[in-house]
Amino acid sequence: MTTVLTTPESVRELLAALAERQMAAGETPGAPAPDPVNLPMIRHWTAAMGDRNPVYTDEEFAARSVHGGIVAPPAMAQVWTMPGLGGERSPTPVDDVLAALDEHGFTGVVATNCEQTYHRYLRPGDRLVPATRMTGFAGPKRTALGEGYFVTWEVTWYASGEAVNSMVFRVLKFRPRERKSQPGIRKSYPLRPAVNRDTEFFWEGVRKGELRIQRCARCGELRHPPGPMCPRCRSADRTHVTASGVGTVYSYVVHHHPPVPGRETPFVVAVVELPEGVRIVGNVVDCRYEEVGIGMPVRVAYRRMDEDLILPMWVPRES
Amino acid sequence: MTIASAIAGIGATEFSKRSGRSELQLAAEAVFRALDDAGLPPSEVDGLVTYSQDANQEIAVARETGIGELSFFSRIPYGGGAACATVQQAAMAIATRQASTVVCYRAFNERSGRRFGQPDATIGGEPSSQGLEMSWHVPYGLMTPAAWVAMFARRYMHTYGAGSEDFGRVAVAMRKHAATNPAAWFYKRPITLEEHQASRWIVEPLHLLDCCQESDGAVALVITSLDRARDLRHSPALIAAATQGAGAGQMMMTSYYRDDMTGLPEMSVVGRKLWEMSGMSPSDIQTAILYDHFTPFVLPQLEELGFCPRGEAKDFIADGGIELDGPLPVNPHGGQLGEAYIHGMNGIAEAVRQIRGTAVNQIKNARNVLVTAGTGVPTSALILTTP
Amino acid sequence: MRTLSQGQIAVGTDLPELSIDLTPTMVISTALATMDFTPVHHDVAAARAQGSQDIFVNILTTMGLVERYVTDWTGPEVMITAINVKLGVPAYAGDRLVFTGTVTAESGGEYTVEVRGRVSLGDHAVGTVRFRPPGESA
Ligand SMILES: [Zn+2]
Repeated sequence: MTTVLTTPESVRELLAALAERQMAAGETPGAPAPDPVNLPMIRHWTAAMGDRNPVYTDEEFAARSVHGGIVAPPAMAQVWTMPGLGGERSPTPVDDVLAALDEHGFTGVVATNCEQTYHRYLRPGDRLVPATRMTGFAGPKRTALGEGYFVTWEVTWYASGEAVNSMVFRVLKFRPRERKSQPGIRKSYPLRPAVNRDTEFFWEGVRKGELRIQRCARCGELRHPPGPMCPRCRSADRTHVTASGVGTVYSYVVHHHPPVPGRETPFVVAVVELPEGVRIVGNVVDCRYEEVGIGMPVRVAYRRMDEDLILPMWVPRES
Repeated sequence: MTIASAIAGIGATEFSKRSGRSELQLAAEAVFRALDDAGLPPSEVDGLVTYSQDANQEIAVARETGIGELSFFSRIPYGGGAACATVQQAAMAIATRQASTVVCYRAFNERSGRRFGQPDATIGGEPSSQGLEMSWHVPYGLMTPAAWVAMFARRYMHTYGAGSEDFGRVAVAMRKHAATNPAAWFYKRPITLEEHQASRWIVEPLHLLDCCQESDGAVALVITSLDRARDLRHSPALIAAATQGAGAGQMMMTSYYRDDMTGLPEMSVVGRKLWEMSGMSPSDIQTAILYDHFTPFVLPQLEELGFCPRGEAKDFIADGGIELDGPLPVNPHGGQLGEAYIHGMNGIAEAVRQIRGTAVNQIKNARNVLVTAGTGVPTSALILTTP
Repeated sequence: MRTLSQGQIAVGTDLPELSIDLTPTMVISTALATMDFTPVHHDVAAARAQGSQDIFVNILTTMGLVERYVTDWTGPEVMITAINVKLGVPAYAGDRLVFTGTVTAESGGEYTVEVRGRVSLGDHAVGTVRFRPPGESA
């Protein structure tokens, strides 16, 4: 990320100026296709696509057809100049613009349009050379994915100097909505608790490694799950105690099906009875699910689910 | 109740996995069939009651069916716990002259549309009282109805020495009943206890065959005064008692913090009220429609309602107690495990058929039929009787 | 193998639907046959790590399948002159891609077919394919 102080307006101007320069640069040739148009690659392609058109692979049929011989599927246009596994992508005028967008936080990318025009059918032996020019830059625009810029470029493929195919390609470079979803950071855990002023003390305790149980400040009644009023003495004055962190399994289930977002199946959920006199629900982890049983001694353990959420869970303990 | 009321008409769509039509169309079709069954025109209806979970507003159903003005409409919360309470609301409206003819309905594409059994990551997301309640469970992945019920089932097994086969016998009986019911999804498809035991785990200790099916369909009921019902097409099913109930410390499916996890205190609440209102006792009931979205909760229902002592439901069932020739035939239509899952409304329709004497698996001399609604949630129940 | 001639093609004609099961084999073999070795098209873990639910069809394959959809119907000897595609939701492995199409225009012997490729999430690709039937000089 750049450390230069920027405003949205200055970013827009900077990007627009760069785009102008790159569009003015015109067409930049890329590396020639590693192989000429050839029957084996056509055969792989048609087999994968399920395309049984005989003009692509059947020499006899093709010879008698309007083409007078084997031709390549037009939609293979781009295939011939793909860099392939481990190949180097040739630089194009668009690269600097995409990199600048990344640098300013427009890290998301999605292709929106692909328009190919075929001036003639390609034949085995044609050796293609691509050339790319940047043709459009628009934004910032609000889109369903987030604020972003549309970048358009055109590739023309030449065979012995003759323009045979061309392609207009457009992408949206957008600023992803979730600011925290930077690469390398775990996705946010989908099963989040609702928290309000009556329950916040519990989750605050979890973040500090404390298992907190609501206690009535007037009559001392312990209560879980907590609530705003003491049902015994009507007091709204409440405090909490920190539980010892041990308990025993009162009941449990092993979830197999259906799949649960954010979870690998099977997993164990238990009702745990605490010596303080309340019950609490949580996962039993760090043991095989076949080993869990009613009466099993457990102790609390805290597991980080993502950047913001820690859940109290339960692990086996020696009785 | 000052003015006695009765169920005078029942109607349903076919029960399927893919209705191919909107939920509103299903509702309208069921309402028309129920009114035709009663022999009443839509213009006679002045009240509508449904579940708060139903996606079809009362006014939309009224528009589609040509029901004109409405003087009464209400909705019952807590999922399938609403079933019998729709009838209770209708009866109360008639008793207090808020309405003269009330239609209760439930319509959904629960298989081809939103499936209740699939995890919904957003259910714990709102800081409403229900969102906060769910937030003690959902973050741990405890978020499907099967899982919520399984937690009770495990404790029940531990306390009373019950096994998975004891739950399996409920499924086998329901599928046996459905096998001779042409309206049932599992018509002619009975299962064995071995098949139950071999079916895959959903949430241990629940197998797949402990879980009711998912269905598309609709059921509607027409309720009117007993006097009016006597003049209609079928012999009336008198509402002898209808009531709602929530237990102390009640939660939605997760009442794990009460003293005991082996019972259904809310079913005890409605049971006591049913016997008090009707003047009956369990021995007066010839057949019962017990809510069977998951097999384990059929056992504590039998116990809470007084059909057998606590902890002995497994023996009552193993002795054939809930089968068609047993002392208390349960769900002669096959229940939600066998016929269809219409959130309990199809069970009320079956109770009416038993009272009329027109059920496919008719119980001889069925004079009094008890029906329960959703279990694990605030619930409701009713007793229908021959007038 | 017959190819439709000009007289056999009418504006307004609907093409027969083509349904393609996007098996992992399909997604991976097409990605590699188009020389696209980006991991999101063949490596489930890599696809999930960048937030996708599974591996998905690459753009070069989308273009190829749109072309195949039209030439499966016209027969082999038409001349494809252009394919313009607006890209929509990803086509993930395990999904099904269903193409529908209609002949919408004819001008100077060149026909335009509007094509729509849908997956369970919505439109994957919407666009046009232009072609000339045999016997028509360009
Ligand atoms: Zn207190």
